[in-house]
Amino acid sequence: MAQLESIVEEMESDDLPLEKLLVRYEEGAKLVNICGNKLKVAELKVRQLEEEMEGELKTQPLKIDENK
Amino acid sequence: MSRSKQPQWDFGELFPSEENRTILTVSELTSRVKVAIEAHVGEVWVTGEISNLRQQASGHAYFSLKDDRAQLACVLFRGTRVGQRDLMEDGLKVVAQGDLTVYEPQGRYQLNVRSLELQGVGELQVRFDKLKQKLQGEGLFDNERKRALPKYPQRIGVVTSLDAAALRDVLHVVGRRQSSLEVVIVPSRVQGQGAEMELARGVDQLNRFAESSSLDLILLTRGGGSIEDLWAFNEEVLARAVSSSSVPVVSAVGHEIDFTICDFVSDVRAATPSAAAEIITEGAVALRGWLDDIGYRLMREVRRRLGVGQANVEQLSGRMRRCHPRRRLQDHMQRVDELSEALRRGRVIHLRGMMERWKMLSDWLRRFRPGQAIALRGEGMTRLRADFSGRMRFRLRCKSDHLVRLEERLRLLSPKNILARGYSITCNSQSGEIIRQAAQVKKGQRIRTHVSKGEFDSSVE
Repeated sequence: MAQLESIVEEMESDDLPLEKLLVRYEEGAKLVNICGNKLKVAELKVRQLEEEMEGELKTQPLKIDENK
Repeated sequence: MSRSKQPQWDFGELFPSEENRTILTVSELTSRVKVAIEAHVGEVWVTGEISNLRQQASGHAYFSLKDDRAQLACVLFRGTRVGQRDLMEDGLKVVAQGDLTVYEPQGRYQLNVRSLELQGVGELQVRFDKLKQKLQGEGLFDNERKRALPKYPQRIGVVTSLDAAALRDVLHVVGRRQSSLEVVIVPSRVQGQGAEMELARGVDQLNRFAESSSLDLILLTRGGGSIEDLWAFNEEVLARAVSSSSVPVVSAVGHEIDFTICDFVSDVRAATPSAAAEIITEGAVALRGWLDDIGYRLMREVRRRLGVGQANVEQLSGRMRRCHPRRRLQDHMQRVDELSEALRRGRVIHLRGMMERWKMLSDWLRRFRPGQAIALRGEGMTRLRADFSGRMRFRLRCKSDHLVRLEERLRLLSPKNILARGYSITCNSQSGEIIRQAAQVKKGQRIRTHVSKGEFDSSVE
């Protein structure tokens, strides 16, 4: 995101040649997509942490009944 | 004090004889009672319920301690250090420690309270305050200790009960606002005996988990309840676990009005479980808006620059069209046309001018009729010529007459004539110089003498 911010700032600084501007735009658009996709995970991942006999920690999926 | 008169209501034997009576004044009696009470009862601990509490402006507090069968007057003087003077209220069960004494002006025994311990809820409050003071003294609540939460958490740990509404609230809000967030739950009882141990262990486990996996923060939460229900969150063992957690801790216990030790010692306190979930997902929500905004800014920047570029191209191509060779050629051709037209027009004008001038001149010529003028001049010339030759002849005759006369006079003046009359001219033979004085000659010098007819040489004697 810092990268994205710096790209946009660079683009807005006005003295960027057009070729570079377009390259930056593509980079920026890609980053926007990546960030957006990260936010768009459909289902919440809920796991339960369990401690085993040897003191090892494991997580396993947990189903929470919403209507309870 | 004895009396002489038998009182009206003498009941005889019922009372000791006057001589045996010891009659005390009220003050004396009260004083005796006071001494007896202070000596035999003195310092006591007594439990009861506060009633009829009166906090005086003087700073002293008066109240009664009562149970279902009796009551005891109590006074708490200003300056007496008791834990929770402010928390005292009617109906509160307390254990009071103090000295039993007698307030003589009213003949009333009372407890001068030296310390007061709240029982039940009261007791919890006191424990709460004690622990709060202790931990505060250790600096565990200091703002400098509070860590900022990661702005965009990816995985969080939650210590709570699987059955609690709090968990469903949290999951609901997180699912709505940041479904990408991974939630690792450590189930724990949140109330009842030993719940604080489970909660503390949950925090420790998540810290251990964070050593090998990434974990952005820990949420400790439960819904609202009575002070007893929330009590586990006021225990020191949990406070210690939270304060030593290397992962930032968010505490959301009960409702807005409920504050627990856990809230104080955590990095972030949220009013409710839902509020905690909102705080945690704040970054992601803001990020979504920011992404929209930045996408828009990207697009706008490219559009703007392309617009500028296009305008430039249009302007340049316009300029190029203007300076295209054909355009120049056309310009020149047009100029040629223009000039040749001007030339043609100019020649005609010039010719016309010349003709006009010629006409004018020939008119003028005709008007002046030079032939006539020439004839006139010719006549003049003939006349002048005649005139001139007449005058010429006259002047010539005059001159020749004059000349004859001058010839005559000249002939008369000529030396020959003079010589003819007998005169001679002598001159130096060598230099030809005419000798006018005798001094001009020396003896023996040759001289020549001219006479009328011829000449002769001689030498001076």
